[in-house]
Amino acid sequence: MSETLTTSEAGAGAGTVTLSLQGALNLALDELLAEDPKALVLGEDVGTLGGVFRVTSGLAAKHGAERVFDTPLAESGILGMSIGLAMAGFHPVPEVQFDGFAYPAINQIVCQLARMNYRSRGAVPMPVTLRVPSFGGIRAPEHHGESLEALFAHVPGLKVVSPADPQQGYSLLKAAVRMPDPVIFMEPKSRYWQKGEVVTEAAAAASAAAAASAAAAAAATNDGGRSLGAADLTDAGLTGARIARPGRHLTLVAWGAMVARCLQVADLAAEDGIDVEVLDLRWLKPIDAEALASSVGKTRRAVVVHEGPRTSGLGAEVAQLVTERCFGTLKAPVERVTGFDVPYPSGDLEDEYIPNIDRILFGIQRVLEYKRG
Amino acid sequence: MAELPFPLPDLGEGLIEATVLEWLVAEGDQVERNQPLVEVETTKSALELPSPQSGKVLKLYGAPGEVIKVGEPLIVFEVADDTAGIVGTVPSEDAPKRRVRLNANLDED
Repeated sequence: MSETLTTSEAGAGAGTVTLSLQGALNLALDELLAEDPKALVLGEDVGTLGGVFRVTSGLAAKHGAERVFDTPLAESGILGMSIGLAMAGFHPVPEVQFDGFAYPAINQIVCQLARMNYRSRGAVPMPVTLRVPSFGGIRAPEHHGESLEALFAHVPGLKVVSPADPQQGYSLLKAAVRMPDPVIFMEPKSRYWQKGEVVTEAAAAASAAAAASAAAAAAATNDGGRSLGAADLTDAGLTGARIARPGRHLTLVAWGAMVARCLQVADLAAEDGIDVEVLDLRWLKPIDAEALASSVGKTRRAVVVHEGPRTSGLGAEVAQLVTERCFGTLKAPVERVTGFDVPYPSGDLEDEYIPNIDRILFGIQRVLEYKRG
Repeated sequence: MAELPFPLPDLGEGLIEATVLEWLVAEGDQVERNQPLVEVETTKSALELPSPQSGKVLKLYGAPGEVIKVGEPLIVFEVADDTAGIVGTVPSEDAPKRRVRLNANLDED
């Protein structure tokens, strides 16, 4: 563990720890390795080095080099090995070091990992969680800033999820690894060092026990989704989208690193009297269409924001899901604010490529001023 | 804090090793990115290696005259956790800036 655990002493935050996303993911992996003797962590430099973002720091020393180990520099091999290990009954958590390095493993992911359960009529499930440091924003070279969610979401048999903050990282990684299905876990690398309060499962269990003896307290814990109670750490709380900020006038739909940006935009929109709801989609396959319908059914306006290129991006899928369910009540077509249809640019240009605050505000304004006919 | 090892990089042209001529930093020094760390000599030439990043020097490998092979440890840095990523840098969180103002007549709803 490179992150120091500091237990909060304030009454409201009892049982929470302050962690970066990197520290929260490290804690989740640590606890998963401790609870599940079949769990394995493998990838380039995840062992001795502890990962280029320190996500696996200390895990090899604590859980052994047989369970947390370095692989050759060959992504196809990392995935092929994980598939074989899953066939043999293990629960591998491989890492592909950066988004753009998933391409050499696409054949293993698409043709084997995603299909083995289907091909074997359920006899050979693939409980593999592929961690992929994803998206842009760290001034890195080519292949280190790409958004592959639309590619992966298009592949039948895969689940795709992206956490937006430390709590989501901790809880969603645990949920993903415990699933019997292959999950692509897209970590927003520009958010690795942002800290937040994390309710651990142990703390949530203690809190649930306390709540059981004081049932009246349960109703007071809902503050719009910014903090999690025990209920949010159950399976039911981790399968769909979550409202990161409630609002009345317009829904911003986002995932990964764009959730934090949309929360900033919502604060700025409030200065102009526009009350924006931010829906953190979390699961990108399957998408929580009911949460989309519920939110946009209320606000009647939607803007979807993502870093990846516009054409055939996941924003198109979100727009269609909203349109199918809310066509009669929508005040304007669903707006997309996205990256551009070009290869991911060098670091100097990424602030222009990734949706910035003004581009998102423009998208909101276009929806607000739309007139029918 | 995290420890970050830096092995002798590939110096190009098929060179597989270098001889340490003179260390330009000492253990305990705080160094900046691109600051010269060490002068080494290959079969081609003598050259200074710049630091790949800022940090505190924890350990130096190789006394003057010793040969280090490409890929072997050269130096270990101690760096803050939030700069320990080996590729890229995470921009600091600035206060959000805006140029666009929103304008809507929501009474028509």
